[in-house]
Amino acid sequence: MTTSTLQNLPPHDDEATRAADQALRDHVGQAGEWHLADLFADDPNRFDTLSLHAGGVLADFSKQRLTAETLEKLRALAGARGLDAWIRCLFEGGEVNWTEGRAAMHWRLRQPARDDGEQDPVQAQLLRMERIVKRILSGQWRGCEGDAITDVVNVGVGGSDLGPLMASVALHENQPPEGRRPRVHFVSSMDGSQIAPLLDELNPATTLIVVSSKSFTTVDTLSNAATARYWLEKAFPDRNGAVLRCHFVGISAKPERMSEWGIHGDNQLLFWDWVGGRYSLWSAIGLPIALTIGMDGFRELLAGANEMDRHFQDAPWERNMPVLLGLVDVWNLNFLNITARAVLPYDGRLKHWPSYVEQLEMESNGKSVDRDGQLVDYHTCPVIWGEVGPNAQHAFYQLLHQGTRPVACEFIAAARHGRRQGSSAELQPLEEQHILTLANCLAQSRLLALGDRALAEDDDTPTYKRYRGNQPSTTLLLDELTPRHLGALVALYEHKVFVQAVLWGINPFDQWGVEMGKKIATDMIQVLGNGDGGDGLDASTRALARYVRERQA
Amino acid sequence: MRIDMFGDTLCAMVTAAAMAQSGHRVRWWLPPGRVARALDDGRVLYQEPGLAELVSSQRRAGRLDCRTDEPGLASANGEPAVSEPAPVVCLALQPGDLERAGHLADWAGRGGARLLINQSVFPVGTTEQMQARLSDAGANTPVVCLPDTLQEGQALDSFTRPHHLLLGCDDREAEVLVRELLRPYNRRRDVLKVMLPREAEFTKLAISGMLATRLSYMNDMALLAEQLAVDIDVIRQGVGSDPRIGEAYLYAGCGFGGPGFSRDVMSLTDTLRSRRIGAELLEQVLQINERQKEVLFRKFWRHYEGDVEQRRVTLWGAAFKPGSDRIDNGPALRLIEALWAQDVDVHVHDPLALPELSAWARGKGTLTLHDDPYEAARDSDALMLVTEWKAYWGPDWDDLKSAMRTPLILDGRNIYDPAYVKRQGFTYHGIGRG
Repeated sequence: MTTSTLQNLPPHDDEATRAADQALRDHVGQAGEWHLADLFADDPNRFDTLSLHAGGVLADFSKQRLTAETLEKLRALAGARGLDAWIRCLFEGGEVNWTEGRAAMHWRLRQPARDDGEQDPVQAQLLRMERIVKRILSGQWRGCEGDAITDVVNVGVGGSDLGPLMASVALHENQPPEGRRPRVHFVSSMDGSQIAPLLDELNPATTLIVVSSKSFTTVDTLSNAATARYWLEKAFPDRNGAVLRCHFVGISAKPERMSEWGIHGDNQLLFWDWVGGRYSLWSAIGLPIALTIGMDGFRELLAGANEMDRHFQDAPWERNMPVLLGLVDVWNLNFLNITARAVLPYDGRLKHWPSYVEQLEMESNGKSVDRDGQLVDYHTCPVIWGEVGPNAQHAFYQLLHQGTRPVACEFIAAARHGRRQGSSAELQPLEEQHILTLANCLAQSRLLALGDRALAEDDDTPTYKRYRGNQPSTTLLLDELTPRHLGALVALYEHKVFVQAVLWGINPFDQWGVEMGKKIATDMIQVLGNGDGGDGLDASTRALARYVRERQA
Repeated sequence: MRIDMFGDTLCAMVTAAAMAQSGHRVRWWLPPGRVARALDDGRVLYQEPGLAELVSSQRRAGRLDCRTDEPGLASANGEPAVSEPAPVVCLALQPGDLERAGHLADWAGRGGARLLINQSVFPVGTTEQMQARLSDAGANTPVVCLPDTLQEGQALDSFTRPHHLLLGCDDREAEVLVRELLRPYNRRRDVLKVMLPREAEFTKLAISGMLATRLSYMNDMALLAEQLAVDIDVIRQGVGSDPRIGEAYLYAGCGFGGPGFSRDVMSLTDTLRSRRIGAELLEQVLQINERQKEVLFRKFWRHYEGDVEQRRVTLWGAAFKPGSDRIDNGPALRLIEALWAQDVDVHVHDPLALPELSAWARGKGTLTLHDDPYEAARDSDALMLVTEWKAYWGPDWDDLKSAMRTPLILDGRNIYDPAYVKRQGFTYHGIGRG
């Protein structure tokens, strides 16, 4: 399927890119002085030119410190960097992950089934997944004693945890149309602090463990899985064969390692090398999502993402949401020198969105070497952090409003809450709470942008009560937090990350920076155990290890 | 006296037929459905001893007039086309049919009926609400509640020779009239307990709740008995011999079902819940019962260590109790669904319930139905005894053993003697029997 090769792509740094870059540097000479209050005063149509709608998501970047002219110059830079060819290369299955010699085809996971769907490995795995989901939801997945499963524990970390966790919590109000969903729990921390209290609560006879790991070597995951296995085998000492068959599902790109660990062949779900861990919630890794909202809901999630895929490929850049949002971020970081970004969902259902985005963006674009192996001499990914907005208002908003650092903000909310379920579904005050939350969202972005000028003029206000304003922000409004719109939102971020990586000339699909730490941790176990191998260490580490050893004795 | 009976429940049929038998002239108005269609074909859908004979003899005698084709019944309100109600109007409707009950009450009140008897299982308080509705409309028809306490499997008998009857009534004249109607069945001693309508409705549900609690309690004890290697049947006899407890409803088994019993318990649970009273005990009772319906499956699963795909299983009995063709809420359904989900080949024998079962299974999965119990057991990897029909109590063990592929008996009603069955070369698991 691959026709594009990296050789066909334009060089990262040439005459054209330098010219486009220089045009932006000239532009920022004036733009750097702009205040958002003036931009709004000058152009009453700002919202119309600087917002767009796609996939059930409204993106408003009119509160960014830029104009249509800025975007035009940014598009010129993207053009010079060959963004169009890179997008083609991504969707043709080219080796966009060049340090690992792989394609990145997460978009393949959400393509609609073709007529020859049976042959398609993606559809085949979806069908296997569907069978497992149906069996669990209908109460017909049986533990080794023959009981129906009531609790599912997802054991995974990183991409095998953050994506499924974020989406399962976000969409929890969507019940599967049939059957009864199990309680789904997530366990990721390697120290056992999550799994220990959970196992105290759960009934082994009715618990299913899902072990999710792309490589099936991740020590965090395998140590939690081993604890769960020990717990189950101890509970049913005379049913050891049935314990693994009835209580463990494995999801990985390495079937042989799953088998070696003991996952029964029927209980293995596969994905592929060409799906990055942090891009994998669309694959069988999304099993906890499907168990929460049902398989139809999961397919809706895929359909929403597919809609964004097509938008990203087809829409002209003037109306292309991932392209424009990527360019806005580049503008903030590289031209306005705003090195921090806050992700602020105004919806408690999206409480895991910030940590999901932290991984997606910082693990993807926290890089400093370009395609030619050269160190880049500009910033790449900003520092990203976040929290549910209304709660963050009582935590770090002080810094946003009156601190010394510029921070780009991202507000995410749902225009309508949508159908609620459960016994509180009809409580009128809940609807009012949703409106209250949206009011806060709009008020905060307005105050951050305009500062004192959002308020009635009063020159007597003491300086410590003043708001500088001019903190830029983007607001993303979902029509409603449905599986479909969430799918579109996640795909929007994935593609935005790709756009940025192209502009920065880096590979967003590898993560070599997290490999070495794992390796030297293995050596450190011995140092902590008996002190062997501690001699070559720096004084700090050596002393800390000794301190620990002394207190373990 | 002339009586109008509404509804197609078992209670409606038994009351209508018994009243006709004692000389009353009964018009029985049936909504369209299976019961009405069967009557049109000259059949009686409810398989209760003596009932079919009684219904047809009373129809022949002209005292029971079944109205299944009245156009009026199809009207929006479900009111009959005739405007004059009989002096006595009885409602034995399906539990969800509250709205229709309201319309019929209005009709009876407008027409000046002398008595309205509500026999339907509705939420506690419904009868009094009907009374208030009639009084508001200026009608002076009294409304009483005569809860359905029929025992399925011996419904006719429990109507004509009742051990007790509940009457919810706060009107002296209405009580006199009810006593007159029930006189032939209330002779030996007065078994009529008169109380307020809502008290009668509540008592009826509380009785079902108590019986269900006893069953689930014994099923819990059965689990323990298995752990302690004692036979729950011995325990049952010991417990039942205590006069404070008595012997009824102490049989451990593979779960209770039926259209009436579990419905009553659920209705009681709902009533408690809607009043914000935690129905903790009854929720547990129902939950234990649901678990119990799968107990034979779990024993089967454990026997084969979860390796059950493509095996063949035989069910003896599908009716929720012997003597009935009803399968509603019975354990057989849950068992079959569990077996289907594991790709097990399911074969069933039942003397009466196969047509019902086959209708239920349509579109859900494949069942092989047998007229002969030994044919049903051929090449089987397990025999599950689900309903204790008398014909199953003394099988030809040799024939059974040679028919089955694996001689495994899973006795859901503890009707066999474990030691004896084992001596015949079978593996045997009962409920709570070590």
